[in-house]
Amino acid sequence: MREQIIEAVKEIFSTMIMMEVTVSGEVPAEKIMTDSISGIIGLAGTHKGVLAIHLPHRVAMAITGSFLGMDVDEINSDVEDAVGELANMIGGNVKSILSANGRDISLSMPTTISGKQYDFQPTKDADSLVISLRCEAGEFIIELQLQK
Amino acid sequence: MADELDLENEIFKGTQDVFSTMISVELERETFNGQNAIQSNLTSMIGLGGGICGALAIHCPAAVAKAITAGFIGMEVEELDEDVKDAIGEIANMVAGNLKVSYAATGVNVELAIPTSIVGDKFRVSGMAEAKRIVVPMKMAEGLFWVELMYV
Repeated sequence: MREQIIEAVKEIFSTMIMMEVTVSGEVPAEKIMTDSISGIIGLAGTHKGVLAIHLPHRVAMAITGSFLGMDVDEINSDVEDAVGELANMIGGNVKSILSANGRDISLSMPTTISGKQYDFQPTKDADSLVISLRCEAGEFIIELQLQK
Repeated sequence: MADELDLENEIFKGTQDVFSTMISVELERETFNGQNAIQSNLTSMIGLGGGICGALAIHCPAAVAKAITAGFIGMEVEELDEDVKDAIGEIANMVAGNLKVSYAATGVNVELAIPTSIVGDKFRVSGMAEAKRIVVPMKMAEGLFWVELMYV
């Protein structure tokens, strides 16, 4: 699962935003986000869960800039849409990984959370997979929570 | 088909039902004064899939989140800890469950994801730019909170 998600993220980053992604060893113990934006999408159906991508603001702006082909220097609706769309694309891949034809799982609408400091927590009784990744713009985190 | 539903009213009735059943609190519906009026220290969200593509969020100021949790677990709550995140997440799950029932009455099958909670001092929740957003403010003794449905 972990490897499949990493492959999917690499593929999405290299085709959509022309950035290489590598695995960064450290998974932060405390997952309190500072000056960050998170893209979140729900999975419903035979598997229920949540997929999130957490990006520091500067990484999110660089990614959005590369995605849109223009300079982005603030967290605006372009960045929110790009981060939501990233969550949507990764969620689409997770859906196919979990269910052979992807038909038994549907995705919710992506939402974004942005702020100076916040703490993101799924409900208890969920299996959690946290992956720390790095692209040329900096480090970011992919988090998948699935109901047991 | 979903447009046949009076969503604001279904959201209010569904939330009122959860509060009166679970914590014996009666809610009053208030008028929404724009996104800037929303004050949240804790937001619990749950994704909606199946026949619709959306998300439901409950935005609570700290005092309201603590009061709801105290009613839920039957003891005083000092800070926005795990108990509070779990309690408001569960409320979001139940409110979404009632909305699923409302949609089912019009022949739309809604599937729920699992709730997540966000705690912070200053954060902003957004849907996609083209999403429809319905916000219903509600009042209990400790203050206002907001239930929001976003969908495309």
